[in-house]
Amino acid sequence: MILYDYVLSPDCYKVRLLAALTGAKITLRAVDFHPGAEHRKPEFLKINPAGTIPVMEEDGLVLTDSSAILTYVAAKAGPEWLGDDDARMRARVAQWLAFAQRLSASIGKARTHDMLQKPADIDACRAGGIQCLREIEAALVEQDILGARFLAGDRPTLADIACFPHSMLAPDGGISVDAYPAIRLWTRRIRALPGFVEMPGIHRLHDLKPEPAKA
Amino acid sequence: MWTPVALSRDVPPLVVLPVVAGGRELALWRSASGRIAAWADRCPHRGMRLSHGFVRGEALSCIYHGWSYGAAGNCLRIPAHPDLEPPETIRVAVHVAAEAGGLIWVAPSAPEAPPPDPGALQPLRSLTVEAGTAAVLSLAGLAGDTLARGHLAGVEVTVAVQPIGPARCALHVLTGAAGAAERIALSRELDALRRRAEAGEMAA
Repeated sequence: MILYDYVLSPDCYKVRLLAALTGAKITLRAVDFHPGAEHRKPEFLKINPAGTIPVMEEDGLVLTDSSAILTYVAAKAGPEWLGDDDARMRARVAQWLAFAQRLSASIGKARTHDMLQKPADIDACRAGGIQCLREIEAALVEQDILGARFLAGDRPTLADIACFPHSMLAPDGGISVDAYPAIRLWTRRIRALPGFVEMPGIHRLHDLKPEPAKA
Repeated sequence: MWTPVALSRDVPPLVVLPVVAGGRELALWRSASGRIAAWADRCPHRGMRLSHGFVRGEALSCIYHGWSYGAAGNCLRIPAHPDLEPPETIRVAVHVAAEAGGLIWVAPSAPEAPPPDPGALQPLRSLTVEAGTAAVLSLAGLAGDTLARGHLAGVEVTVAVQPIGPARCALHVLTGAAGAAERIALSRELDALRRRAEAGEMAA
């Protein structure tokens, strides 16, 4: 599996994270998204005419949607991440994978506006991002009442992987994450998963690591 | 004067988060052994927010250069100078933090009375509203100021109110309702209340 990847992209990070959590072997191919705009160059458009990242390629299969890529990696390397326990869980996973598009369109756009000077209606992006975070918070409160610690059930699934990165990176787009206690604890649970990997702006839980020894 | 800043349940050991009380920005954190603390959200070294830091054992460490601080706000360790005993003068400004009835309360200095105790209730959730305290409480039909009581979605609620600014407050909601359906209905009612308050709706 080849992942056309950009280190600062939350949608690419989702795939790297799931691969790390499932032990899937992926080969990274770095795309110079900024400042090189390599994703708009003719060579890249031959692979993905839409000019977006991430892209996953394996034996002639080309996937250009991050939720589809997550589904593929999970199906191959960690089917439990698909959340196929029952009809409700499966539908919840599908719903959160769709919801992740709203995160990209709000928080994701606010972030590329602030960090990479991409054009956007920044007020609308931030308002949309706050609305998304409030919906995740309310959903996690209800899940907790029902005895479940993650978005689609009592164990992590693709639903969590799809919504976690933007929920952590919202401050990059000028959207505070201070007011969401359920999101804070949920993101800590994800960061505590065995095999968790970081990206710039999302660090591991230092408190789970031993104090570095004195020199 | 005590200000409620969080539900105890939402701040388990090893968690640090930023809160506002009495117009001050604080880092609220709980140590591994369960001790709650509220400090000025500013590392004495370079001014970094301590709420971006991390808790290890009984100390809070700054994310920037790793300076760590013990229970009294005193600097315990400067990683770049491992052999240095940090001078007593390096201290974080410490506020008073206490817990009562499932709520975390803070005050700038020890008040004469202990924090209000709402009694035996279950925590539901905290939510921040972009509207002033008085407008939110009157719209909700709740009576009281720091601890407001009333009914929402047909169940009894007690709301600890944290003023954050002239047009922002946080509601820390407790209830006697134990059933999942009742608790979910109440949580949804709180979201609806926030929408109405933020749309500028006033109490009839």
